[in-house]
Amino acid sequence: MSVNKLTCEQTFARLDDYLDRELTPMELAEVAQHLEVCARCAGEFGLEAQVLDEIRRKLRRIMAPAELVEKISEKLRQG
Amino acid sequence: MASAAEFELLLSPLLDRAYGVALHLTRDRADAQDLVQEAALLAFRGFAGFRPGTNFKAWFFKILTNAFYTTHRKRRQEPDTVPLDDVPSAYVQRRAHEVVSDEGRAGAGLQSGNVARAVLGKLEIEQMEEAIGSLPEEFRVACSLYFLQDFTYQEIADILGVPIGTVRSRLHRGRALLQKRLWQLAEDHGLVAAAAAAEGRGR
Repeated sequence: MSVNKLTCEQTFARLDDYLDRELTPMELAEVAQHLEVCARCAGEFGLEAQVLDEIRRKLRRIMAPAELVEKISEKLRQG
Repeated sequence: MASAAEFELLLSPLLDRAYGVALHLTRDRADAQDLVQEAALLAFRGFAGFRPGTNFKAWFFKILTNAFYTTHRKRRQEPDTVPLDDVPSAYVQRRAHEVVSDEGRAGAGLQSGNVARAVLGKLEIEQMEEAIGSLPEEFRVACSLYFLQDFTYQEIADILGVPIGTVRSRLHRGRALLQKRLWQLAEDHGLVAAAAAAEGRGR
């Protein structure tokens, strides 16, 4: 399989889809190939993943208030 | 016949994140609790229609989101409509890079990656919540479902009843705008200067 060589600009345009795992297998291979040879793009991709991970991590600390959990349990029992 | 116990077993693990999404959607703690309760009851009443072994999480969050649009969405104080100019992607990275260039200390080892990570690390959860709450509704909904659950574009598209291309657009633009808001908050609270100073000292 011959994979197209992407420019940095073309690779960067696929950043969001790459991080969302929404690239086709061919697109993924093209991006992966570029990241293997381009340290700058690899750095940017890696950092962007870390940025999204940090946001995700902090937002996921949210907890449902105890009274909400109890109220739901109660209402389900009432049917 | 669906039992409350069986339903609760499926629902309980989702409640924290359901409350989180509800909070992003309603931007009010009391409304968020009401929304989650309403969604839980609607889901329980419709549980006979749920096919066991299929995606309960996506099914429940669709009920939650629909309940928001039907009864909980309030027009008052809705944040700005979608901006016409797109914020560039990887916004935090770009600004961190500028900080390094401005400081003229790149040669001394101040790295944009470290500055970006340090700035985000200093942001409190409340500030993250404030930033996501400030997004226009369509960005806010997509980003909330994305960050709090690991839904695919397709799952979010099914939940919102919009084309997959629309989800992709809202997520990409929403995340870029969210990064911009986070950076602005960080600047307002002196966190960028603090991060640059700390990283510049080689901490």
